[in-house]
Amino acid sequence: MPTQRPRPWSRPIPPATVIARALHLAPETFWMVVKVLIVLLGPLSLAALLTWVERRGSAMLQDRIGPNRAAILGRWRLLGFPQIVADGLKAFLKEDLVPPHANRVLFWLAPILAFLPAALGFAVIPFGQSFQSGDRTYHMSLLDPGNGMGMLYPMAIGALAVYGVLAAAWGSNNKWSILGGMRASAQMVSYELAMSLAVLAVFLTTGGYDPHEIIESQRGLWNVVPQVVGFLVFFTCMFAETGRLPFDFAEGESEIVAGYLTEFGSMKFALMYLSEYIHIVTASALVATLYFGGWRVPFVADPGPILSVLAFLAKVVFFAWVFVWVRWTLPRFRYDQLMRLGWKVLLPLSLGNFLLQAFLIYRRG
Amino acid sequence: MAVIVKKVELSWLDRTYVWPVLKGMAITFGHFLRQITTPSRKRFTIQYPDWKKEMPEGYRGLHELKRFEDGAIKCVACFMCAEACPARCITIEAEEFSDLTHTQGFEEKRPKVFKIDMLRCIYCGYCEEACPKDAIWLRKDYELAAYDRLSMQYGKWDLMNTYADQDGKLRLSEDPTPAAPRP
Ligand code: SF4
Ligand code: SF4
Repeated sequence: MPTQRPRPWSRPIPPATVIARALHLAPETFWMVVKVLIVLLGPLSLAALLTWVERRGSAMLQDRIGPNRAAILGRWRLLGFPQIVADGLKAFLKEDLVPPHANRVLFWLAPILAFLPAALGFAVIPFGQSFQSGDRTYHMSLLDPGNGMGMLYPMAIGALAVYGVLAAAWGSNNKWSILGGMRASAQMVSYELAMSLAVLAVFLTTGGYDPHEIIESQRGLWNVVPQVVGFLVFFTCMFAETGRLPFDFAEGESEIVAGYLTEFGSMKFALMYLSEYIHIVTASALVATLYFGGWRVPFVADPGPILSVLAFLAKVVFFAWVFVWVRWTLPRFRYDQLMRLGWKVLLPLSLGNFLLQAFLIYRRG
Repeated sequence: MAVIVKKVELSWLDRTYVWPVLKGMAITFGHFLRQITTPSRKRFTIQYPDWKKEMPEGYRGLHELKRFEDGAIKCVACFMCAEACPARCITIEAEEFSDLTHTQGFEEKRPKVFKIDMLRCIYCGYCEEACPKDAIWLRKDYELAAYDRLSMQYGKWDLMNTYADQDGKLRLSEDPTPAAPRP
């Protein structure tokens, strides 16, 4: 048998380079475009899928069946997937109503203000392991490591989400909306504190706040093990930040109709609604990055680009499912209970966790 | 008498809130697993227009006016059902007929008009109870809907034919004997 000589065309050419060459783009530019598309469309499509998961999943959790009637061409029901499309179409075709005494500017601005922070938060989160191709390193996050913003960026952007709620509430000129907006702002501000302290503890143990560093520091042990209290606090606060049950005081449909969403219809409502789900995706990604090793796979040191992206996706999907799961398990808190939990339980817990981590680091020297 | 509400003593584990939440989530997830692994035919939901529920015995649905084998109506227009009806939705007009048939024995009266306003009927079944001749039954059909109010007024022939197809009987539109006052 003749020895196999490496043929000239079998030299590994990175596929990204091939496509980039075909498009007459520099590989960096091409990779940037790909990343922008992934970061923009990924959470968006995940959020759309999540609406399906929420409806069918909640149905299954409650021994129901859920929407399964929408069908493509009246024939293929596909487990109710076409419901997403049907809902989108319906939202487009509905009358776009602005209530007569609403503040028109705020009313128009609110869906954008709600949607943008939700969609932007994903930009720094690495969704896979950086890989070497040719002589370049490609990072799987929209902003490369060492951009100086690190994990502070999604926190800051996430905190902006409250403006969407407030603008919607104030712009609607509706009592229910105002009540919802007031509750939401109080809730978000209260929980922001505990959340930030929990994240600070992670920064402390990592020694930096860049998400790549945070993931790197979880090489052997995921953060959730030494900081289980911090994780619980952070996860709880994420429910408050996304305005999901058991903390959905901004909506509270049994108390204040639909809260800040009361006056919204058609595509504006769809945008607000979708931004809630994008928030969930972003929150899940944050939890995965901060406490569950981001793209890390257990017992695999270097998972490589494909496996790492899959692992990250699996984690995000899992936590998104937990959001849905919890929503259909727990009843809503009372407002004073919410405040008590935020200020008297979560904040001290978070602070305690922070001090404990600081002490441990001090002991280790 | 005042009710004394007992305060539930929570253990420290319950006070953590995390543990009860996990327990609750386990319960809901159990339901999720059970529901998702059950074939859809065996789930609680009956997917209505495709599948229909078999109504239990004694269900009070749409009425039927019973007939004899020769197609003569069993009702003798005694007005008992109309009297008993709490919704006052039965309208009967009686008529005489002379030509006694074998099956009908010695009856000589029957309804010329027998109308039930199904929009007013409350399906209480009192008419069935009141009827001395067992001529009116409430049976299992519950799919009563129409595009206009008029088609919910069931006449004599509608009521005699409500279950004709189901029972494999002929649809009737005529009495076997003509109506005629006795000479
Ligand atoms: S079921 Fe009741 S309401 Fe209906 S016709 Fe008979 S007696 Fe009247
Ligand atoms: S249906 Fe029965 S109760 Fe009613 S009029 Fe006829 S025989 Fe009398």
